[in-house]
Order: sequence, then structure tokens, then C-alpha cells
Amino acid sequence: MNQSAVDKEKINFQPKKFNLWLFMITSFMLFAAFTSGFIVYTQGSADKGIKIILPHAFIYSTIVIVLSSFTMYLSFRSAKRLQFDKQKQFLWFTLILGVGFFFLQFYAWTVLVKMGVYLINPNASQSFIYIFTGVHLVHIIAGIILLINSLVGSYKNSPQVKNLFRLEMASIFWHFVDILWIYLYVFLLLNQQ
Amino acid sequence: MKFNKSFCTKIFISGIGLLMLLISNITLAQDSTPASVNSPTIEVSSASDTMWLGISYNVLIFLLVCIIIAVVGRILKIYDLTLQMQSKKAMDWNKIMSFGFGLFLIVGLYGAYWEYTVQGSMILPDAASKHGVAIDEMFNATLIITTIVFVGTQIMLFGFAFIYRGSQLRKAHFLPHNNTIEKLWTIVPAIVLTILVVFGSLTWKSIMDVPVSEQKSALNVDVTAHQFAWEVRYPGKDGKLGLKNSKLYSSNNKVGVDFKDKNSYDDLTADEIVVPVDKPVRVNLIAQDVIHSFYLPWFRVQINAVPGLPTFFQFTPTITTDAMRTKTDNPNFEYKLYCNKICGGNHFNMQKVFRVVSVAEYRDWLSKQKPYLNDQLRKELKMAVQTENSANKNKLAFNKI
Amino acid sequence: METALIVNNSASVHRQEVNGHDEHHHHETFLTKYVFSQDHKMIAKQFLITGIIMGVIAMILSVLFRIQLAYPNTAFPFLQTLLGRFAPEGRLDPNFYLSLVTIHGTIMVFFVLTAGLSGTFSNLLIPLQLGARDMASPFLNMLSYWFFFTACVIMLSSFFVQKGPASGGWTIYPPLSALPKAMPGSEMGMSLWLASMVLFVASQLMGGINYISTVLNMRTKGMDLWKMPLTIWGFFLTAILGVLSFPVLVAGVVLLVFDRSMGTSFYLSDIVLNGAVLPNEGGSPILFEHLFWFLGHPEVYIVIMPAMGIASEVMAVNSRKPIFGYHAMVYSLIGITVLSFIVWGHHMFVTGMNPFIGGVFMITTLIIAVPSAVKTFNWLATLWRGNIRFTPAMMFAIGLVSFFISGGLTGIFLGNAALDINLHDTYFVVAHFHLVMGSAAIFGMLAGVYHWFPKMFGRLMDEKLGYLHFWLTFIGAYLVFFPMHFMGLDGVPRRYYAFTEFESMKQWLSVNTFITWAAIMSALAQVAFLFNFFYSIFYGKKATQNPWNANTLEWTTPVERIHGNWPGEIPTVYRWSYDYSKPGHDQDFIPQTVPFSQTMTSNLPHDFEDDPDVEKLQTEWLKQNSQEVK
Repeated sequence: MNQSAVDKEKINFQPKKFNLWLFMITSFMLFAAFTSGFIVYTQGSADKGIKIILPHAFIYSTIVIVLSSFTMYLSFRSAKRLQFDKQKQFLWFTLILGVGFFFLQFYAWTVLVKMGVYLINPNASQSFIYIFTGVHLVHIIAGIILLINSLVGSYKNSPQVKNLFRLEMASIFWHFVDILWIYLYVFLLLNQQ
Repeated sequence: MKFNKSFCTKIFISGIGLLMLLISNITLAQDSTPASVNSPTIEVSSASDTMWLGISYNVLIFLLVCIIIAVVGRILKIYDLTLQMQSKKAMDWNKIMSFGFGLFLIVGLYGAYWEYTVQGSMILPDAASKHGVAIDEMFNATLIITTIVFVGTQIMLFGFAFIYRGSQLRKAHFLPHNNTIEKLWTIVPAIVLTILVVFGSLTWKSIMDVPVSEQKSALNVDVTAHQFAWEVRYPGKDGKLGLKNSKLYSSNNKVGVDFKDKNSYDDLTADEIVVPVDKPVRVNLIAQDVIHSFYLPWFRVQINAVPGLPTFFQFTPTITTDAMRTKTDNPNFEYKLYCNKICGGNHFNMQKVFRVVSVAEYRDWLSKQKPYLNDQLRKELKMAVQTENSANKNKLAFNKI
Repeated sequence: METALIVNNSASVHRQEVNGHDEHHHHETFLTKYVFSQDHKMIAKQFLITGIIMGVIAMILSVLFRIQLAYPNTAFPFLQTLLGRFAPEGRLDPNFYLSLVTIHGTIMVFFVLTAGLSGTFSNLLIPLQLGARDMASPFLNMLSYWFFFTACVIMLSSFFVQKGPASGGWTIYPPLSALPKAMPGSEMGMSLWLASMVLFVASQLMGGINYISTVLNMRTKGMDLWKMPLTIWGFFLTAILGVLSFPVLVAGVVLLVFDRSMGTSFYLSDIVLNGAVLPNEGGSPILFEHLFWFLGHPEVYIVIMPAMGIASEVMAVNSRKPIFGYHAMVYSLIGITVLSFIVWGHHMFVTGMNPFIGGVFMITTLIIAVPSAVKTFNWLATLWRGNIRFTPAMMFAIGLVSFFISGGLTGIFLGNAALDINLHDTYFVVAHFHLVMGSAAIFGMLAGVYHWFPKMFGRLMDEKLGYLHFWLTFIGAYLVFFPMHFMGLDGVPRRYYAFTEFESMKQWLSVNTFITWAAIMSALAQVAFLFNFFYSIFYGKKATQNPWNANTLEWTTPVERIHGNWPGEIPTVYRWSYDYSKPGHDQDFIPQTVPFSQTMTSNLPHDFEDDPDVEKLQTEWLKQNSQEVK
């Protein structure tokens, strides 16, 4: 890859990053639609609503994903300071925490089922819990793919600009899914019982 | 050119693809024919012969029209060329098109006038309900305003197109903006629309926001919609309708009346909706399967029937069916109830007769209606055996009155 | 053989691209150039041709159901041959009639007027009119087209499943669409519809993200937002609408899919279907209507705003006049964009919604008429004292304004909640939206095709055939939709298979026959367009670089339409795009690339409000000149 090609790609980074921001707006709109759907539905009558205390698993998963956001930040900082070993290390942490979050959410579902809160439910406010977490998990999968992509990239000897860009994209998206989860969790907490 | 050639092949290939799709479609279609229709094959083939004849006839006519158009086009071109050769002015298509717009304006305005008068006389007669009169007034006011705007703007549009047709001699008037006139045509529509909004809101509120006290004094009619019929239930002597629960549905209890509610014992069932004139009627609606819409155009009444979400519409009919017969000069006239929300294959035929009669006729009619809780249903509801007697007494008592 | 030719061809194109930017695609094959192309112009053409094909299909569907409405009691053997089990004994099946209506609506609204219109012209014009080499992400752009293409294939494939395509209306209200047993079309056909729609939304989001990003990031030097042509404003705001509203449809569809296949009760409650009591409880069908119309209403502006932008541009060019009130035009587009998010409830006045909320939606709905009125009057003022050149594109733009007025005015009836009680879901509504967003948007699209055909194919379309096409379509559309208003005023509901079952509707049978023949006429008129379009691609008159004497940047690109758009440097922009017939200038147009220093005789005081250097230059020039005069 010659120098001019690298320059060209660098020029192209700005719109791509912008595209990512726009994509995050669209997926935020998706969740905004779900949550407003929840509000419209729940206000339909008094016997609708979450009606339970959310399982503790959600607290654990929240801690895990906030932690993973922090390690993501550390990884990005290391990459900027050219500490590539640290970058890889923290990226691995993030990845593991991300997968951990995934399974914690699954665990939370099993707890919900044990509590008698099923997906197929005459009180669809409770079904919405599964929809929120489920669609969020789809985003987590996308985030994990981005993480793996930048992890694999960091083992290849690619130019620092590209490495940093890849990492930055993954990190922006990962922080986004983190914030998204906090939004959903706070929304659910405000509506529980 | 090479680009075009390859593009040509692409089109050609896709054309073949489309053709194959069409052929497979036709064969697919014919595959199912023998299975569904077991008619004698000879007749089918002769019918299809005439059919193909008819189709090829039409296609031929169309091709002929195309050829005529092509020929006319050629002639025009040659005429144009000869004009130019004789160093006269060439055909000015710009001018012809501007005259086209001028002509369209005149013919179009006459056409709109014709539609307003001829088809305008085919529309619904004056509203047969109290609130409908308010709606009609609102409609007429809006119609007058919009017609003025319609005529004015179309005259301007096609008039300008006609007057300001291009010419080499002239330059257009450079006018990028004019704040005064822009403010004018922002504010004037805003004011007109504000007036319409205010009156519209008041009318809307008066129709939909009926005070609870008035709701209580109205005659309740319970209508349940399902594919593709309306079930009607009237309250009995107590004037109250019993509760419903769709889970209690059975072939004898089609709307799922809950007989734990004592109000339901004397409820009546009817084949048509009959209401007294000049008395407020509150129609209570629910659907059992999909969304339907309870639409009575003569009364300007419409409300959706939604499964799981009861709705109602309260109105006062003012013209009896008989009066409407004389008014429309149609001895067979009946008010009909339409379904106005797509609900399945027979959506177009989901109707019910809606009769408006005098109060005396209404009483007479109501006394002939059968109780909803019929003998079969009573047998089915073994729970109700204990209350059977009292229900019977009720019924007898009612019949005497 | 063919591919070899193409490689040669592209190689020659490369040679033309002198030393400027380094070229990215060194080995173009047939596949990368025509199929999986990442060039925005090729993708635009792909969108256009797919859109046209889908439009023709949807038009044929409409003719089929028009035949049924005109002749409800006649058997047509060819229908049986054509449709098989869907038209037993030559008469359309009532369920299949509803399928036709549904698929006609879906294809026209989404596949033709959203993807075919925005997809074509946003892709073509955003880079060309803003001065960019390509889209922000050409790869995403390509993906957008192929998602759209797949969505089209899936949608059409539903005609080949046993029970037929989706038939619950294009609004797919549950429970009708959620209960496979409610009607045949709600089985496999509905599943395919939903799958197709999800792909379509993905395609639109990718496209929309790209458009916004390109407009905000990749404008050439000097092209600030207030110098953008109105086309770009239209596409840009349309993309914003799409990006914000399409995800909401996805949310609604996800819940619907769960209801259909998992047995959840988001939309279903208390249902007794064909004598069977379903277990679903507690759902609200109205919830879906809210989610659907939160997309659905912005969607109609997604359809009309690009057409408005195109019409503004075409009318300015061909009236040889600046568009009247450029700023007002932009602000009214922005106003429409913002307001379109808070009016969705006017589709639901008769669902039994809270009367107060209905009143609020009525106010917002009628407010949106103000920016629409401003746009209309500005178009009229643009024509006023113009020097109008009737190209086919101009005629279609004028047609758009006429339809927009006629259809827009009836919107004032329907937006009024009190009047909507009696007009809701009648033919009045059908007439209204077919004029204001159907015909108007199609006319905008056709105006765009005639106007930018030289930029797509390097050739011109035949003008006379264009005239024929315009007049037949324009008159035909009015003949079809104008009488429908009166049917609606007689309370004739839409989506009725036949008007034979009600005594009161029989008077409209003759009108229906008339409408059907008008529809067939305008459908056949499209043959003139199709022939013109495909013939001109190969044999049309060669276009010059700037055939319409227009100011915008796309006409500064070479006729050969090279990859990267401009052979050398991207031109710089100095002025807005509407300097037509400026007094004091010898020509009646000044392209955006001409600096003010070259047009001293025609500069106006407000031309360089933000540019003190040019102002200085101008005052000096004026001083000199006045001395000479003395």
C-alpha cells in the first residue's frame, strides 16, 4: 500500500465515523420506539405493567458492561500512546466482559422464567422486558464482532492510522451499547412495580 | 458505444429472464386449473380460443394506434423539415405546448364544474343526525374556501404557463424574493387555517366528547363485529346491557355475554338495528377477530370496532327511514351499516339494515325481539339453572308490558 | 467477449482521467462495473431501472383490480389464464383482490416512490451537485441497492406461494395481519411481506445514512449549506426523515413477528376467530397503528419531498428564473420535516382515541398546510414573468404543482377531525393521496428522469414522445382521481371488492367503468415512456455537456460520465445555483462555478454580503466604471 492510498483512506475516515454516529441514531430511534410502545401499552389499563422486582442478574450485567466500557477506554488510550501490548490486553478484557454480559443476560432470562415472567404473557409489559434485552443483545453481538475485528487487526501489522481508526469505531459503538443498556435498565427500573 | 452494447445484452438477458418468469407463471397458473375446476376440457379449450382471439384483437388495435402515432410523428417531422427548407419558421413546440396548457385550463375548469354539478348531485343527502348537520356546515365552509383557492391557483399556474412561454427576444424577470408578498402568503393561509381549526375543534369536541350525564340518558345498543357480520344486542327492561367477555364464546353465546352479571338476563337480540327518531343513541362497539369500522354515512357516524378495546359513538338520528324514502324519492331506501376497515375477503359485503322509526313503532318492534338468553343457551349454561326461574319471571313480566 | 470490450472501454476512460486523483478501480469487470458497482451513478441507474420495473408491475396490478371494479359481474377468461387459482372462472377472488390492492400500495409507496425516487436521484445528484467524487461510503451504497433488490424479489415471490400475497392493506393492521387464519394472505404471504420490508428498511437506512453523511461532509469548496440547490435540500431532509422514522417501523414489525410466530400478545386481545377462542389477552391493536403511522406519515413526506426538490430545480431552470424565495422554500421543507413527526394521529381519528388528543393532532395537521401553501405560491411566483421553456421535464413539474394543489386542498378536509368522521377510509381518501403523493411524486420522478437523462446515459430522450406521454398521463390521472372524490362524498368505502351488494353504491358503477378506461389509457401511455426511455439509452440524440443551460455543478462534468465525476480538480463554487436571467449579464444563466469577479456587470449588493474581499473589488470596479461613464 503506497503512501497516497493511505492518505486517501485517512480522508475517508471522517465520513465513515459520521456514518457510525448516524447508525447509532437509527438504533436509538428503534429503542425509543420500543420504549414509547411500552409506555403507550402500559398506560392502556391498570393491570398492565412490569409488576415485579427485576432480577439481580441485571445489576451484575450492568456492572460488567460498565467495566467493559472502562477497559475499552483503557485500550484505546494505550493504542494512542503506542502501547500495543496493553491495547491487546485491554481489548481481550473487553471482549471477555462483553461475552460475560451476553451470558449474564441469558441468565437473567432464566431467572425471569423461574419467577413466572414469560415471554408469552397476557401482560405484554412483561414481554417487553424480553424484547428490550433481546434486541439489545443483537447490538451486543454486533459490538462483539467489531471488537473481534479490531482485535484481529491489532495482531496484524497494519498501519497505526488504520489500527486506531478500527479501534475508535469499535470503541464508539461499544460505549453506545453500554449507554443504551443503561438507558434501558433505568427505564425498566423506573417502571418496575 | 461499447458501454451501450453491453447494456443491451444485459437488457436482453433480463428480458429473457422476465419472459421465462411469465411463462412459468402461466404454466403454474394452468397447473392448478384442472385441480380446482373439473369442467369439461373441450369447452375450456374453445373458450380459451375465443379468449386468445379477443386478446390478440386488442393487442393488434394497440399496435395499430402505436403505428399511427409513429406515422403522425414522422409526418410532423417531415413537415417541420420542409418548413425549414422553405426557410419559414419551424414548428414552435414551445408555443403549441403553452396553448395546450391554456386549453387544458379552460377544459379542465369546465370539467371540474361539470363534476361539481353532475356528480356533486349524486353524493349523500343532508345529514340525518343532529351532529351531522354541524359536520355538513363545516364541510360546506371548507368546500367554499378550498374551491376558491383551487380555481385561483390553477388559473395562475396554467395561466402563467400560457402567458410566459419562452421566446428568444425576451429575458425572464429576475426576481429572487420579495419578503412582503411571502409574508402575506404565509400569514393569510395561517389565519384561514386557524379559523378552520378552531371551528373544527369545537365541532369535533361536541361530537366526540359527550358529557357523562347525556351518555347515561341515551339508548344503549351493543354491536359486536366479527368476520363478516354484526351481532346486535339491546338492553331489556332494566335498560342496562350485561357485561361481555369474549372468552365465554360458544355457538349459542356468540358475543360472549357474561351471565354472572344479572343485567344480562333480560338482554334482547335483534336481526337489524332499529332506533327511535330524535332520541340519543349510544352504540357500544367491540370486535371479536379483526378491526372493523362501524360506518353509517347518512348519519356521518363512524367509529372503529377494535378487538379488546371497547369504543362507542353517541348520536341522535333526526330523519326516519320513511321520511328519507320520500325525501330521496326511493320507496326501497334503507339506511345501511357498512364495514369500513379492511377485514378480509367479504369486507365488501358486511352490511346490516339500520332503521330509524318513530318512538311508538320502536316500542312495538322492541317488544317482538327475542331474549338473548334463549333455551338452548340456558341448557348450555348449567350454572344458570338456579336463576332460570327468576329469569323466566323477568321475561314474562317484560312481555306483559 | 463482452467483458473484454468493457475492460478496454474502462481502460480508455482511465486514460482520460488525467493526472488528477489516483484511480481506485484498476480492474473493472462486467461484474464490478454493472452489477456490484460502487459508482454512485451506476447505482442510481440500477435503482431507477428496478424502480421503473416495479412501477410497471404495480401499475399492471392496479389495472387488474380496476377491471374488477368496472365489470364486477363479467367473467374474463384471460384472467384465469393469467392468474390461475386467484381468478377462478375468470373472476378475481375477493381475497386476491385485496392482495392486489395491498401489493399495489406497498410497491408504489415503498419500492417506487421511496427507493425508486430517492434512491435514484439522491445517489445521482448528491455527489454531482455538491461536487464530490462519490458517496461517503460507496460500499454501503452498493449494499443498499442489493438489499433493495432482494426485498423486491421477495415481495414479488409472494405471488407464487399457495395462499397468495399479503392482503391486509399496505398498512397491515393487526389482528388481520397477525392472525394467519384471518385471511389467506395473512399466512405465508404476510411473512414474505414482513421479510421483504425488513430488508427494505435496512436498505433505506444504509442509503439515508450515506446521503446525510455525504451532504454534511463532502461538499466541495465554497458549497455552503445555503448554496445547495433545492434538490439537495429535499434529498437531505428526506434522508433525515427516513433515518428517524424507519427504525420505528422495524420496532412495530418486530413485535408483529413475535405475535405471529411466538404467540405473544402485543397487539392481540380477546379474539374469537372462526369459532375458536384464542388464548391471547391484553394486547392493543392501536399500539401497532401508533408505531406504523409514526413511520407512515413521515413516509408520505419521504415520498413527496424529493419530488418537490426536483420540481423546484426543473422549474427554475426552465423558467430561466431564480426559484422564488429560496430561503422560504428551504424553511418550509424544514418545517414540513419537523411537523411530519407530530401529525401521525390524523390517520387514527376514528379509532376511538381520546377526543383531546384527536384535537391536538388536528391542529398540528392543519399547521403543516402552511409550509405546503408557501411552497405552492413560491412555485407560482417562479413561473410569473418567466421565459418558460416547455421541455417534457418542465411539463411534468407543472403537472406536479397542479396535482399538489388539487390533492393538497382535500387534505384540509381530511385533516379536520370532524370531517374525517365521515370521510375516513372512503374513496375521498383514495383520491386525496393518489393526487397529492401518488401522482405528484410520480410526476416529480418523471420530471427528474427527463431532466437528468443526459447525466445518466449521455443522450437525450425524445421530446415529442415526452409530450405525448405527459398529456395522456396528466389528463388520465385527473380523469381517474377527480371523480373518486365524489364517490367518497357518497360514503363509498375503499378496498371494496365490488359495489354490487349495496343498493346505494350501484349508481357509481358507470363512473367506475369510466375510471377504469381512463386508468387503462394512462397505463398504455406509459408505453410511450418505456419505449422512449429504453430506446434513448441506446439510440437517443447525443447530449451536449449542458443541454439545459443550467447552473448546477453536475453540468460541469464531462458527458462521458467518468468514475470520480470530474477529470481534474473538483470545481469550486462561488454562488447559489439560481442566477438565471440576471440583469446585466449577457447570457441568461451563470453557473455556480463562475466567480463574482467575472460578472462585475451583474453583481447585486446582496451577492457578497459575507465576502468583504469581493465587496471591495466590486466597489473599486464601480468607481472605475462610473469614471469611465463620466
